Amino acid sequence: MLEIKNLNFSYNENKKEPDLKNINLKIKKGEMILLCGESGCGKTTLTRLINGLIPHFYEGSINGQVMINDLSVEKSPIYETAKIIGSVFQNPRSQFFNVDTNSELVFGCENMGLPVEEIQKRFHDVVSTFNIRHLLNKSIFKLSGGEKQIIACASVSASKPQILLLDEPSSNLDSASTWDLRKLISIWKNAGNTVIIAEHRLYYLNDLIDRIIYMKDGKIHKELSRDELRSMDNKSFLQLGLRPLSLEDLSKNKKDFSPKPSKPNDINTHLNLTKFRYSYGKKIAIDIEQLEVPQNEVIAIIGKNGAGKSTFARCLCGLERKCKGLLEKEGKSLGNKERLKLSYMVMQDVNHQIFTESVEDEILLSMEYDKSTEKTEEILKNLDLLHLKDTHPMALSGGQKQRVAIGSAIASRKEIIIFDEPTSGLDLKHMKEVAYNIKKLQKKGIIIFIISHDLELILECCSHVLHFEKGKVVDNYVLDDAGEEKLKHFFINPIKDTNIPITSPVLLFPPKRC
Amino acid sequence: MNCEILQSSDTRANLKIDPRTKIIVLVILNLIVFGETAHYATLFMVAIPFFLLLLSKREKAALIYISAYTLALLGEIFLIPVTHGVLNILIVMITNLLVRMMPGIVMGYYLIVTTTVSEFLASMEKTRIPEIIAIPISVVFRFFPTLIEEIRTIKDAMRMRGIGFNLRTVKSPLILLEYIMVPLLINAVKTGDELSAASLTRGLGNPVKRTHICEVGFHIQDIILLIFSAVALIIFILFK
Repeated sequence: MLEIKNLNFSYNENKKEPDLKNINLKIKKGEMILLCGESGCGKTTLTRLINGLIPHFYEGSINGQVMINDLSVEKSPIYETAKIIGSVFQNPRSQFFNVDTNSELVFGCENMGLPVEEIQKRFHDVVSTFNIRHLLNKSIFKLSGGEKQIIACASVSASKPQILLLDEPSSNLDSASTWDLRKLISIWKNAGNTVIIAEHRLYYLNDLIDRIIYMKDGKIHKELSRDELRSMDNKSFLQLGLRPLSLEDLSKNKKDFSPKPSKPNDINTHLNLTKFRYSYGKKIAIDIEQLEVPQNEVIAIIGKNGAGKSTFARCLCGLERKCKGLLEKEGKSLGNKERLKLSYMVMQDVNHQIFTESVEDEILLSMEYDKSTEKTEEILKNLDLLHLKDTHPMALSGGQKQRVAIGSAIASRKEIIIFDEPTSGLDLKHMKEVAYNIKKLQKKGIIIFIISHDLELILECCSHVLHFEKGKVVDNYVLDDAGEEKLKHFFINPIKDTNIPITSPVLLFPPKRC
Repeated sequence: MNCEILQSSDTRANLKIDPRTKIIVLVILNLIVFGETAHYATLFMVAIPFFLLLLSKREKAALIYISAYTLALLGEIFLIPVTHGVLNILIVMITNLLVRMMPGIVMGYYLIVTTTVSEFLASMEKTRIPEIIAIPISVVFRFFPTLIEEIRTIKDAMRMRGIGFNLRTVKSPLILLEYIMVPLLINAVKTGDELSAASLTRGLGNPVKRTHICEVGFHIQDIILLIFSAVALIIFILFK
């Protein structure tokens, strides 16, 4: 069905090493293929060559062929390829052309110029198969990341492509939405569609995968069949630099992990929150009667999308002026102004918090008192950024940008740092790097909160957990052995909870001859 | 049937007005408030966005708009003749700004929040405006809310960094603008890029005639609005 022959590709002809080297791949109809490998291994580039974005949108020099049935992706216009391949991308914010969900669902069909009756039929089919009636007639700006990704999958489905191509679709999703995504993928698979998925998080795809293509440095390094996969354990995945295939066997990082048991009710070692409330309009977003959070630990904030985690973080930072209630640190109550001064949030999209033209300026901008070069260099050195000090921050990689943001927080002597999804879309190596930096910050005595859907990160560097649900803290526990069980239960359980069948197994896409 | 499944993003809007009508009203409204037209014609046109907002269940915006406009207009008529000096200049500036600019901005706001991309594309197609022009304009509808989201995030980031009005930035206010513009532009370009790529993989640009499942067309409400605007336009031309 899909055949790639002797493919070489580079974005820039003058580069010595091509971005993709000698790719040969045959994918049969109905197969489910997982493309994996470290960041920068060429997964995304390969997906772009398959769906025709290369060479029709991104330029570069191609050698070799990508054939889908009898269609050459390179030679035929991209709208022809679009009829056969449906693509879902990583960022749920930037893959909608429309501003409302209904129009988005039929957008692909409209572009193909299908008759109105046919489009309406498909619309109703898709709505019932994916069970998304509750998402209709909504502005896409009001949907959560998970909901957006489901709409993206459903709208691609409406065009009835034979091949589904997903590029890191789960990287912005919480654990429940990730399991929802799995359901959508299994619907496709059961209907006999070919599914190609490039992904870092593997656990949610576990037994759906037929074949793994492991890429390294632009080459196909290894191919693993379904049976070979079964015989592998998490350790061999770690060796390949991959995230584990199942979450059950994960365990806490015990090596450099020593939460000092702090006495409860001690105001010197705990942040105290009393009657901490925030509401927008009539909707109460945060409602915490009394909460005690240990200070010299790394605290994970978990909960579903929309549970109030981000709003809570914004209140802690003093970004929400209307937040009511007390926040006490060492017996001193902090108002919004003090909170803004003491705390810092490293945003999910770090691009928003970089303002200057060089890494050094970025750090200097944050120094209020002693603007000294030595101090700046020391901070940069600690974050392994010194060699980049004159670089434009926007030219850095995602992880480096994140470290610049951390650096500016240190420079302005923040005492509380909140990370919002610091590892979304990161591979194992980069996730560990983030965890390492966080642990280092903790040793400096900074209070750290991490909002995360990444169980591996939490086990790697957190020592305390706050569990949010509907604006309330429903659980607050130390991450010891018992805590670990609880935490895993939260991340793994959604399988059972959401296993309510979507609909009877309808064959959505009648198999065509390929 | 069509409208049952393809309502605008905004379920509040129960009065459907063709995007073309909205655009025509917007243009004429701007002509009239900027040109010195007879008061009764101006007031007539100025009232249109108010009623439109009201009918689309945006009572708050409607009331703010009409009261701000009324105050500014009263200020212009009664305060300007009796004040002097700096105060006079200030009042002239504020009232002029509100009286001349606000109706157009509010009508533009109404246009953007109540028009879906597919409605807009459908109406452009009906007017035989080529896709090459219609598609880039339609992106504007997608882009404005995105832009507002981005600006909000950047403002938050600035507050956490303590960048705002302080001694340093007052000395060189341009630097504040730079702090907003640099991340804004970079993010806008990135989003735009990803958006175009996604649209292409959904078959946008296919030369076959695009289906428009969303029905647009002129109805009685459009005709009333257009007649009003036409009358105002005639007054504007004849009695200038």
